[in-house]
Amino acid sequence: MRMRSLSVVLASALALGACSSTDSSEGGDPAAAGNCAPSTGNVTLTYTTWIPGIDKVVKLWNDKNPNIQVKVQTGPNGNGGTYANFFNQIKAGNTPDLGHIEYDALPSFRVQDGLANLAGCGEVTAAKDQFVDWTWGQVTFGEQDSVYGVPQDAGPMALFYRKDLFEKNNIPVPTTWAEYAAAAEKVKAAGGYITNFSQSDINQFAGLSWQAGGRWFANDGAKWTVNLQDEGTTKVADYWQGLIDKKLVSSVPPWTTEWDNAYNKGNAWTWVSAVWGANSIISGAPDTKGKWAVAPMPQWTAGDAKAGNWGGSATAVFKNSKHPYEAAKFALWLNTSEEALTALNSEAQLYPATKAGAKLPALTEGVEFYGGQKIYDVFATASTQVAADFVWGPTMTSTYATASDGFKSAVSGSGTLLDALKTTQTKTVENLKSQSIPVAE
Amino acid sequence: MKNLNRVGPMLVMGAATLYFLVPIWWLVVAASKTRSQFSSTDPLWFADFALIDNLKELLAYRDGVFLRWMLNSVVYTGGAALLGTLLAAMCGYALAKYRFWGREAIFNVILSGVLVPATALALPLFLIFSQFEATNTFWSVFLPSLVNPFGVYLARIYATASVPDELLEAARLDGSGEIRTFFTVSSKLMFPALVTIFLFHFVAVWNNFLLPLIMLGEEKLFPVTLGLYTWNTQVNQIPELRMLVLTGALVSIVPLVIAFLLLQRFWRNGLGSGAIK
Amino acid sequence: MKANKKALLFFILPFGLLFAAFYLAPIGYAIKQSLYQVERKGTFGKAQEVFGGLAQYQRVFTDGPFWESIGRVLLFGVVQVPVMLGLALALALLLDSGLVKGRRFFRLAFFVPYAIPGVVAAIMWGFLYSPNLSPFTAVTSAADLLSADLVLWSMANVVTWVYVGYNMLIIYSSLLAIPQEVYEAAKIDGAGALRTAWSIKIPLVMPAIVLTTVFSIIGTLQLLAEPAVFRTFSSAVSSTYTPNLTVYSTSSIPNFNLAAAFSVVLAMATCLLSFAFLKLTQRGGDK
Repeated sequence: MRMRSLSVVLASALALGACSSTDSSEGGDPAAAGNCAPSTGNVTLTYTTWIPGIDKVVKLWNDKNPNIQVKVQTGPNGNGGTYANFFNQIKAGNTPDLGHIEYDALPSFRVQDGLANLAGCGEVTAAKDQFVDWTWGQVTFGEQDSVYGVPQDAGPMALFYRKDLFEKNNIPVPTTWAEYAAAAEKVKAAGGYITNFSQSDINQFAGLSWQAGGRWFANDGAKWTVNLQDEGTTKVADYWQGLIDKKLVSSVPPWTTEWDNAYNKGNAWTWVSAVWGANSIISGAPDTKGKWAVAPMPQWTAGDAKAGNWGGSATAVFKNSKHPYEAAKFALWLNTSEEALTALNSEAQLYPATKAGAKLPALTEGVEFYGGQKIYDVFATASTQVAADFVWGPTMTSTYATASDGFKSAVSGSGTLLDALKTTQTKTVENLKSQSIPVAE
Repeated sequence: MKNLNRVGPMLVMGAATLYFLVPIWWLVVAASKTRSQFSSTDPLWFADFALIDNLKELLAYRDGVFLRWMLNSVVYTGGAALLGTLLAAMCGYALAKYRFWGREAIFNVILSGVLVPATALALPLFLIFSQFEATNTFWSVFLPSLVNPFGVYLARIYATASVPDELLEAARLDGSGEIRTFFTVSSKLMFPALVTIFLFHFVAVWNNFLLPLIMLGEEKLFPVTLGLYTWNTQVNQIPELRMLVLTGALVSIVPLVIAFLLLQRFWRNGLGSGAIK
Repeated sequence: MKANKKALLFFILPFGLLFAAFYLAPIGYAIKQSLYQVERKGTFGKAQEVFGGLAQYQRVFTDGPFWESIGRVLLFGVVQVPVMLGLALALALLLDSGLVKGRRFFRLAFFVPYAIPGVVAAIMWGFLYSPNLSPFTAVTSAADLLSADLVLWSMANVVTWVYVGYNMLIIYSSLLAIPQEVYEAAKIDGAGALRTAWSIKIPLVMPAIVLTTVFSIIGTLQLLAEPAVFRTFSSAVSSTYTPNLTVYSTSSIPNFNLAAAFSVVLAMATCLLSFAFLKLTQRGGDK
C-alpha cells in the first residue's frame, strides 16, 4: 500500500517531466517578429534586474502609469546566478516579463529561444536612431526584422592614468600601444606597474580585441564561426604576453580588496577600462583623489581613432511575457526618457546607450575626483568610435570560463595567453556541438 | 609531576582555541571599522569604533531588508528543523521498532538520499515546482527543507538503543495506542537524540543557499545567506556593500551561537547518539 | 514488533511522501534528463529534446576536467579528512582525559565555527589569506596561499576549521557514553592515560569515527560553497574545480542534459566510495 503510493508520486513526477519537455519544443517560426498588440485592462509586469536602486527608478514609472505597474525582482548579478535562473525559468515557462541581460549574454538567451522579438513593436523600431549605432547592433545581431532587447547602457573604453605620477616621472601619456609598452618600462623603473592584467576579466580582453579588430564570433544564419585566434585577437594576446613576460604588469585577481589596494597605494598607474570604471576607482582607491585623469585608449596605428567596449546591457522582454507591448513600452521609457536615464545614472552610474544620454547634465560636468576634468567627454567620443559589427557567441559563460582558466595559468607562468585562446577555441566549438548548435570548423 | 602533566594538554587546548576563535575575533574587529580603516589599520585590533554606525547602516539599507532576511532565515530554519525533526523521528522510530515488509529496502533508499549532491536536486526541484507555479514562494524553499534523511538514520539508531521493546509491549497491554505511546513515552526517551537531529537539521538548512538561490527572485523572501551572497556579488558595483557584508556576516552568526549556548545541555550528550550501536 | 497498519502509515507516510516528492522525483527527473539531448536547426533554430541514450554519459566519461576535478577532491579527501578527524579525536581525548580545566568553554569555543555558514566562512578566510589584508602577514608574505599550488589546502583549512569542532563533539559524546566500569578495570590493570586512550577509548568510539568519516567523504565529494566563493579571489580556482562546481557551471551554460548526467555520475561515485569505506571498516571490525 505504502510502496504503491510512493510509486504513484514518482510516476506522476516523471510524467510532469515529460510534459515540460514537450512544452519546450512547441512554438512558431523563430525568425518571425513577435506579436506586439496592447493588452486590455490593467497590466502588472515583473522585471528582474540587479541594478542597485532600481526600485526608485521604477517608482517614477509606476506613479505615472497606473495601468501598467512594474514589479521589481532582484538577485545576484547575471553570472552570479540570475542568468542561470533565467535559463531555468525559460525551460519551465515562468520567466518574468522583463529581464536585465548584458550584451554578451543576449545570444545565449536567443539560442534558448527565450527572448521576444520586438521588431513587431513599431515604437521600438522607431527608436533605433536614438541609440548609438553599435549598441543597436548588439540587440539586433545585425539582422533585419529582429530586435531582442532595448539597449540600456554602454561601456566605451578609455585610458585612466595617474596624472601626478606620469608628470613627476616625465613619462608622456601614451597614445599608441607601442608608447604604452615603452611607458611600462619607465613605470617599472620608477617602482610601479603600468597596470594590472586582469586574468579573470575576459570581458576586458574582449574589449581590447574589439578595438584591435578581433571578431570572436560570426553567424551566417546556417552556422556559427568561432574565431578566437583571428589577427586582431592574436595581436592583443601577444602584446600582453610580452608585458607579462617582462613582469611589467601585476596580476592581482580583479575586484578584490587587494586589487583596490594596488590602485589605492599607487602600485598600478593606469587602467584601460570602461566608463563605469570611473566610479570603481573613486570607491576602490579613495586616497588617490585628484590624481587621476582620462585619455583616449592607446591606438594600434598612430592617428587612428578606435575604441573598444567593455560591458553594457539591454532590457529584454522574454518570449513568455503575455504583455510584450507594455513591456516594450516600459523598456523604452526606462532606457530613453531623460528622467529615467538621469535616475539610472545617479542611482547606479549607468552610462546611457542613447545619443542624447551622453548630454545628461551629470555627464557633461567636470568630475572633482579627476581634478575637475570633464572625463565623460572622452567616453562620449569613444562611444562613437566603437565598431558596430562585434558579435557575441551563444555560449559566452563557458567561453569566458575556459579562457579565464587559461589566462590564470598564463599569468602564473604556465602556458601563454595564446595557448589559452587556442584551448578556448577548441572547447567553445565542442561546447556548441554538445548543444547541437551548428558550427563551422 | 601532576602539574607538569597538565601543561602540555592545556597548551594544546590553548592553541586550538586560538585557531578556532581568532578568525571570529577578526570578524568582530573588521565589522567595527569604517571602510577606509578596514584596509589600512591593524586587522586584529580596533580602530575608530564604527560598529554602531555599521549596524545602523545595515539595518537601514534598502528599507531594512537585512532584518527581513534574518527573520526569514529564522522561520525557514526554525520551522523546517522543528517539523523536519518530528517527521524524521516518527519515520526512524517506525523503522526501528516495527517489523514489516520492505523495511530494510525503505531504510536503504532513504539513507542513500544522504549521498545525492545538492546540485542534482535543486534544478529538477525548480522545474517540478514550476509545474505548480509555486516557485518564488515561501513553500518552494520550506517544503524541500523539511526532508532530512540523515535525521531518519539517527532516529532509527537511537530508537533502537533507547526505547526497549518491553516498554512498548507494556504500553500496548495498558491499552495505549501506538501513536499515543510514541508521543507520551518513546519521544521522551528519544529526546536527546531529537535535539541532536534538530541541531543538525537547523545548521543544514541555515547553510543551504543553493536552493533559495535557484527558487527565489523576490528579495523579500531571501534567507540571510542568499542575501549576503547577493550583496557580495554586487561589491564590484557598490563597494559600500563590503562593510555591510562583513557586519551582516557577524550579525548572522549570532542567533546560531545563542542557540548553541541555550541548547548546550542537550547537544553535548546527544551528539554521540548516532554512533552508539 | 508487529504494528497495526494505521499507526505505521501515520509514522512513515508524512516523511515518505515528502521524501518521494523532494528526493525521489527530482532524482528520477535528473536521470531522465541525462538520457536526452537537444537538437536544433540553424544558428538560432528551435531546440528540441530528443532521446539520446547514453550520449551524455559518453561525454561525461571523456570529459577530462570533470575527472581531474574528481581526482582533486579525492586528493583533498585523502589528506584533509584524516587530518581533520585526527585533530577532532585528539581534542576529544584530551577533553575526556581529565587533564584539562574549563571543558565547557573549550567545547563551545571549538564548536562555534560550525555556526558559520560555508559561504560566510569562505568569505572570511578569503580576507585572512589575502596578502595585504591578512593579520598573518608573516605567513602570507612567505607563501601565496591563494596560488595554484596552495589554494586547495587553503580551502582544506577552511573546511577543517568549520568541521573539527562538530566532529570532535560527536566523538566526545560517545566517549562520555563509555561506562565508568570499563575504566575501573583498566585502572586495576595499571594502564596509564595514553594506554587507556589507545587500547580502550579509541576502539570503543570507532563507530563514531566511522560515521564521521563517511560524512566527511560525502561532504568532500560535494564541495561547492568554498570553491565557488574562492573563485572570486583566487586565480587558481577554475569553473570546473570540484565536481559539484562542474555541475553548476554546466547547468548555467545552460546544458541541462549534460549537467544531469554529471550529477548522476557524481551521486553514484559518492555511493560507491561511501559503501566501499563502510564495507572495509566492517570487515576490519569483524576480525
